[in-house]
Amino acid sequence: MSTMDSISRFVRTRITRIVIVITLLSAVAGYFFSSPEINNLNAELNLWNMNIITFTLFIGLITIYFSYSKSVSQRSTNWPFRLYALVLIIVWIVMGLYSGLYSDMYQTAFLSTKITLHIAILGQLIFFYLSAMYRTFRVKTLRTGILVIFALAMVVLNSPITLSNWSAADQISYWLLNNPGMGGARAVVLASGVGGVVLALRILMGLEKGALRATGG
Amino acid sequence: MILQIPLIEQITPRAGQMFNLAMLILSGVLVYLSYYLAKQGRTWTIRPMEALDAIQEGIGRAAEMGRPVLMFPGIGNLQNVQTIAGLTMLGEIVERGARVNVPVNTIPSATEIVTASEAIVRDAYNRAGKPELYEIGKYVKWFGTDQFVYAVGGAGHILVEKPAMIVFLGYFLADVLVTGEAGSRVGALQIGGTADQSALSLMAMCCDYIVMGEEIYAVTAAITEDKYQIATIASQDWFKSLLIVFLVAGVILTAAGLKSLINFMWW
Repeated sequence: MSTMDSISRFVRTRITRIVIVITLLSAVAGYFFSSPEINNLNAELNLWNMNIITFTLFIGLITIYFSYSKSVSQRSTNWPFRLYALVLIIVWIVMGLYSGLYSDMYQTAFLSTKITLHIAILGQLIFFYLSAMYRTFRVKTLRTGILVIFALAMVVLNSPITLSNWSAADQISYWLLNNPGMGGARAVVLASGVGGVVLALRILMGLEKGALRATGG
Repeated sequence: MILQIPLIEQITPRAGQMFNLAMLILSGVLVYLSYYLAKQGRTWTIRPMEALDAIQEGIGRAAEMGRPVLMFPGIGNLQNVQTIAGLTMLGEIVERGARVNVPVNTIPSATEIVTASEAIVRDAYNRAGKPELYEIGKYVKWFGTDQFVYAVGGAGHILVEKPAMIVFLGYFLADVLVTGEAGSRVGALQIGGTADQSALSLMAMCCDYIVMGEEIYAVTAAITEDKYQIATIASQDWFKSLLIVFLVAGVILTAAGLKSLINFMWW
């Protein structure tokens, strides 16, 4: 391994880990203790964080630009869509820089294209729900049977006709949501929190070989 | 601007946070203890996880069918711990796929995940001893950062490529229903995992196997077959046992009218 490779590996592994440890200790100290000095340090690190996030956004865009340009030049599958995406990326950047993000022109273009399409897709979700429900509610096992009973109970108990004719209906549905439902949901949240902390500690200890393995040389 | 680390002159603990700090330190101690025991030769076995076996089976199925595998790391960015778990899984699946010549495509959402995914895929091909098969843009597809642009792009990709297996692991919301349903239409084996509760129920409707909550962190450690990573899962279980003790004690003491444990937790 050449000297340059060794330096590169050191920067990508050791330095990355040192930066992670420093920022984590600062964030933890700022969360649990109050101190003007720690608050100032955290504010400055947050500023750096913002800069890095902005920088990674550009790195991502550059990666996409090169990847799509190559696809277009080689006329690979779906290249016209990629060309269209490249043109749109440039158009939106130029328009934002020229007229400003909060200008009428930019906002109108944004609302009349992106938001309209977003709402259109959101409206179609009901069809996906129905299709998924059809498959899920074919009772094949005891577990799916229990699921169907409770799902149907919630639908029936919350329907207007039941609510208007049976006063206890919403109390039963709230009980189901606030007791067995809430208990299960909190178990998932608590365990997920523990899992997240342990994953963070694995990263700090250099054991995690996933996302950071790309920096492992 | 050079970062100046100041001398700390005054520091006061935040009210009600000291119990949380103690628990954080304890979790760190338990993780280190499990790591130390693993270094001393102690090994742990993980209960069979259906999803983990299904991933191995799915790669074999893809090889037999001559179809690709698709992996979704979700709509989170690099600051989301679920995304980190998804990227860990991506590296492992790509490497296993590369060994048997199964292409594994991935569709990230955030632009920084595109860059990270390219690096992870390239690294996985190197580890599999087939660096010549890696090509920028060949395996990492990007349709947009918006939740539903991501979903519709992913669904379109599924309908065209017809993957044999689709793995969802990371942070998802209602978008998973669109891609999951498209996956069901093409008959893909689907494995979903997230810690987000709203997406979990949608995954349960679309996927053949689901990985719930903290299992996503356990499954990503287990798939690596690294004894130190697996050891940390043991510490996760020790900590959960402690939480159960706190929960039971809290219920009993509160029912008895004693607030000592609750007051201690607000220390």
